[in-house]
Amino acid sequence: MTAATVTHEHGEVDQLYAETRDIRLLGFMCFIATDLVLFSSFIFAYLYLRNTAQVWPPAGVPHLEIAFAALNSVVLFGSGATMHYALENYKHGNFNRYAGFMIATILLGAFFVGGQGYEYSNLIYNEHVTWAGSGIFGSAFFTLTGLHGLHVSLGVIFLSILLLQSIHGIYTKEKHFGLTAGTLYWHFVDVIWVLLFSIFYLI
Amino acid sequence: MDLHLIERGIAIAGGILVAATSLVALKNDWHTPGLDNQVFKVMLALLFIGAVIATLAGATLLGNFPKAA
Repeated sequence: MTAATVTHEHGEVDQLYAETRDIRLLGFMCFIATDLVLFSSFIFAYLYLRNTAQVWPPAGVPHLEIAFAALNSVVLFGSGATMHYALENYKHGNFNRYAGFMIATILLGAFFVGGQGYEYSNLIYNEHVTWAGSGIFGSAFFTLTGLHGLHVSLGVIFLSILLLQSIHGIYTKEKHFGLTAGTLYWHFVDVIWVLLFSIFYLI
Repeated sequence: MDLHLIERGIAIAGGILVAATSLVALKNDWHTPGLDNQVFKVMLALLFIGAVIATLAGATLLGNFPKAA
C-alpha cells in the first residue's frame, strides 16, 4: 500500500488519515497559538494601562459584581469538563453518553453567552458603564470579554456542527480528529476565561 | 432569599464539582500518550485551577471588593 492510498473498507482506519493526523493537529495548535497571541496582546495592554492609572477602578466606574460572574464562570468550566467526557466516551464507543455530554456542553456554552449578555445589560443600563464612555476600563472590559464571548458563540456553533456530523456517522472510534479539535478549542476558551475572570474580577 | 446568596451557593457547589471532576479526568488521563493528550492534561489542570478560583470567589475569599469607607 502506498502512502497516498486511502482504504474505505468498513472498520479500517484510513492510511492517509493516520499519516496526516499529526500535521492537522499541529496546524490546529498553530491556530490556537495565534488566538492566544491575540488575547495576550489585549490582556497585556489592559494590565499595562491599569498599572499606570492613578486610581482603579476609574472614577465613576463601580466594582464588578462577582457573585453572578463566579456562577457564570463555573458554568463555562463545567462545560469544559463535559466536553472532555464527551470525547472520552466517543473514543470508547459510548455514543449515547457522548451525545448527552455534547448536548450538555452546548447548552452550558449557550448559558454562558446568555449570562454574559445579562451582565452587559446590567452594566450598561444600571451601572452606566459603556464601551466608549467609561475610559480604559470600559473599552478593555467590553473588548476582551466581547472577544471571548464571540469565541464561545462560535464554539457553540462549532460543537453543534460536530454533533450533527457525528450523528450522521462522519466520525468513527478511530477517526475523530474534528472532535479532538473541538475539544482543544473548547478547553482553550475555558482557559482564556480563567485569565479574564482573574484580571477583571479578582485582582 | 437574596439572589446573590443563591448565585454564590451555586458557584461554590458547581465549582467544587467541576474541580473534582477535572482532577479525576486528569488522573485518569495521566498516562495517555500523544501531543493532543498532553495538551488536554495542561488544559484540565488549568480548568481545575479556574474552578478553584471561581469557588473561592463565590465564597468571597477572593475578589476585588469595594474598600470600606
